[in-house]
Amino acid sequence: MSDPRQRPVELEEGWKDMQAGIDKLIRILEGEKNESQFNAEQYMKLYTTIYNMCTQKPPYDYSEQLYNRYREAFNSYINEKVLPSLREHRDEVLLRELYQRWCNHKLMVRWLSRFFNYLDRYYVLRHSLHPLKDVGLLCFRDHVYVEVKRRAKDAVLRLIEREREGELIDRALVKNILDIFIEVGMGGMECYEKDFEEPLLRESAAYYKRKAAEWIASDTCPEYMIKAEECLRAEEERVDHYLHAATKPKLLKEVEAELLATYEAQLIAKEGSGAAALLRDDKTEDLARMHRLFSRVPKGLDPVADVFREHVDGEGMKLVKEAASAAETKKEKDKDVGRPAKESGGGHEQAFVRAVIALHDKYTGYVADCFANSSLFHKALKEAFEAFCNKQVAGSTTAELFANFCDNLLKKGGSEKLSDEAIEESLEKVVRLLAYISDKDLFAEFYRKRLARRLLQDKSASDDHERSILTRLKQQCGAQFTSKMEGMVTDLQLAREKQQSFEQWKEAKGRELAVDMSVTVLTTGFWPTYKAMDLALPAEMVEGVEAFKEFYEGETKHRKLQWVYTQGTCVLRGSFKPRPIEMVLSTLQAAALLLFNEADELSYAEVAQRLNLPDEDVGRLLHSLSCAKYKILRKEPEGKTLSKSDRFFFNEGFTDRMKRIKVPLPPVDEKKKVIEDVDKDRRFAIDAAIVRTMKSRKVLQHQQLVLEVVNQLSRMFKPDFKLIKKRIEDLISREYLERDAQNPQLFRYLA
Amino acid sequence: MNRGSKIKEKEKASQFKTITGASDKVATECLRATGWSVEAAIEYFYSSGLQAAVPSVDMKGIEALFAKYKDAADGAIRAEGVGSFCEDLGVDPSDVVMLVLSWRLNAATMCEYTRDEFVGGLQRLGCDSLEKIKRRLPEMRGELKDPAKWREVYHYAFAWAKEKNQKCLQLDVAMGMWQLLFAEERRWQYIDDWCAFLQAHHNRAISRDTWVQLFEFVRTVKPDFSNFDESAAWPYLIDEFVDYMRQRQAVAED
Repeated sequence: MSDPRQRPVELEEGWKDMQAGIDKLIRILEGEKNESQFNAEQYMKLYTTIYNMCTQKPPYDYSEQLYNRYREAFNSYINEKVLPSLREHRDEVLLRELYQRWCNHKLMVRWLSRFFNYLDRYYVLRHSLHPLKDVGLLCFRDHVYVEVKRRAKDAVLRLIEREREGELIDRALVKNILDIFIEVGMGGMECYEKDFEEPLLRESAAYYKRKAAEWIASDTCPEYMIKAEECLRAEEERVDHYLHAATKPKLLKEVEAELLATYEAQLIAKEGSGAAALLRDDKTEDLARMHRLFSRVPKGLDPVADVFREHVDGEGMKLVKEAASAAETKKEKDKDVGRPAKESGGGHEQAFVRAVIALHDKYTGYVADCFANSSLFHKALKEAFEAFCNKQVAGSTTAELFANFCDNLLKKGGSEKLSDEAIEESLEKVVRLLAYISDKDLFAEFYRKRLARRLLQDKSASDDHERSILTRLKQQCGAQFTSKMEGMVTDLQLAREKQQSFEQWKEAKGRELAVDMSVTVLTTGFWPTYKAMDLALPAEMVEGVEAFKEFYEGETKHRKLQWVYTQGTCVLRGSFKPRPIEMVLSTLQAAALLLFNEADELSYAEVAQRLNLPDEDVGRLLHSLSCAKYKILRKEPEGKTLSKSDRFFFNEGFTDRMKRIKVPLPPVDEKKKVIEDVDKDRRFAIDAAIVRTMKSRKVLQHQQLVLEVVNQLSRMFKPDFKLIKKRIEDLISREYLERDAQNPQLFRYLA
Repeated sequence: MNRGSKIKEKEKASQFKTITGASDKVATECLRATGWSVEAAIEYFYSSGLQAAVPSVDMKGIEALFAKYKDAADGAIRAEGVGSFCEDLGVDPSDVVMLVLSWRLNAATMCEYTRDEFVGGLQRLGCDSLEKIKRRLPEMRGELKDPAKWREVYHYAFAWAKEKNQKCLQLDVAMGMWQLLFAEERRWQYIDDWCAFLQAHHNRAISRDTWVQLFEFVRTVKPDFSNFDESAAWPYLIDEFVDYMRQRQAVAED
């Protein structure tokens, strides 16, 4: 507290001391060499003067006057020294001067606010005024900043442009200047945003607009992208170095808009170097860059994905066409050689599926490596594969080709020699491709046919592979899809056990059969339907059949055995004159040959009658025995073709290099039947889906019904709308449904 | 009232009675109401529904007609009987009016009238002689112009024409019926195209649903098919027909 005995200090008297202090401070700031720093005593004196003048009783309390003179001290310094010196300079020098002045100013604020500190503690608080430090800053803002900001901004922008053009600039200086823009905001960003950032964004946009126009005209797409990416990187770096972090997204947005969005379509479609060309030339690096760049633009990737889809689709269609022409030339060659078209095929179909797998691998790789596994590109890939995988390839569906491909991998002596791992890998891939096929039911049917052949003719190379592909199929298509196939594999296992107990049973009963016989009992329903024929078996075989029947009936009740002779295999020993040869034959062929044990000569009609078989089968049999590679039967007249008037003899003179030969019986063309079966199943499936839907909904609009049915069935196949319509009409006539009397678009379920 | 006019009135009344089969009382009433014009009176009689109240049908006459045409072997009129019935009526058996008559008699099957249908139906119609039936024919023909009745006759025709133990209508019969129904007065301009299309692309029996929906198709779809909606629930056959017609029209335009 002031000493009451002391005389109060008059304003002007006290101020004289203060002014002296201020002048000394200014001299220090102006860098006068022989001016000494403040020492503690001087500082204490100045502080005490203020303290005294503020604590005197009114009317000697000069707080208000001192507060105002504090401000005036700044203003007069600014007007006398700072502004004139700033007005002299331009550009970089101006910036340096400004920074210097700013530093000085801050120093001045620091010192002065200390001298006047006592004002802050009571006067400012009590009257809610600006604290002393703020007053100092405000003086700078209102007088210096306001006057110089435009020139400073222009200078900074010029520096930035020079840097963009590759010059080195004093980044620290720019950063310091921009800090002024921020600090004069006193906590707010308005000054920086309005006075610097907005012009910066405008300038940058204009700059890159010019650049982009220039580059798009002269550069290829990859060159342009490299430049664009470099610009974006540089701008990011710029922000990190000397701009405010909040500027980054705004600045990048401007640059992206100018460099990328504006020219997107033009760039992607650029003749000879756009997205299509990059895909064509496998420029993965550029593609990845394209993805990186356009993922910055909203919806920017859509056109890239479109090009990708078209490209993959095009590549796929190329494979389809290649396969078709390969099939065509093959057919013609076969014709020249005189081979029946049926037995060939194979090779190019395998190649096609291999190529499709390779294509899928390649572009799945692209999606992962170039396109960051984005769902947009996964979708494009899926659509492309769906488009060409559902085309007919040389008269076959891809479903059939895929099934054949699997067969080739899984059967003994398939066309390719592969390691277990390679087989597993191929299987996995082909199953994955299956997702693109809408006719999954058709695949299943063909697959089942092939599987049946592998299992029954003991052609399956490995049980493990069989099981593993079924597991994969089950994962991909559901348990319903594979239940029959699994049943088939299990059946075969059970059949082996059954065969063992049959052997034991024979031993126990002391039964001796004239022939060795093994029976495979199959579950109807799991297996493809085979034509039942009433073959008149040779006596030796009849005995075996009867024995097995007896055994089987003893083991199980209420099961009916049906013998499928078409699937059987027999080994006969042929006593030919040169030397005996073992022949591996189908049961039908064997039955036919055995007829010649009793007769020297038989006519076509006699064979047919004795075997009790329809014409087409007899023809096939006799052709395989008398006109094909091995002529075990001699026929009169000789020749390659069969006629119903032919007569047949056992060819005693037949011989071959091998001791054991396999006489093939060409299978009936099952393709047509498979497709027919699938069509029939589809009709049932559609009927079931319609009835199921209507049963739960009772009344439904036509379009909703169709939609619902398509949804339900899409896992198995893509039903044809026309077919659905036909099935609905059929169900109407079978009185499951009716049309609403008033609204023909409405169907009702009839319970 | 003078004698002469009385005699004329009597003549008119008996004329009226023979045509309508109405009683004396009804005849006088009708003639009086229409100012003694026989024609107007007959029209009035039928349009006011008086005939229903007429019990005075000569059941013997109807029975006699039935006996005349019925098949000797069983108790119904068969094809042969219908043939001579038409002949006596002076109508071609393939005349659409025979369909309307059958509809009025509520006959279940083409070329066949059971006793109940024939006798009961003629009684309801108030016809006990060939003459009376003949006189009613123009009126029946006219009924096809009434949209509601036309629709009813069309729907009736399906069940009438088909074999009783089958759900569908034989294609040739169906086409015959369509010709019968649509060709006259060109009720549908595409009737010949439709039949040609069926013969070339369908060649199977026609379901009731298709039969019924075709009526709606003819009624609602414009001749240029511009308002035809493929995604709607039209029967498959009609979808195909529209495709067929559009293709032909496209070819014709080239």
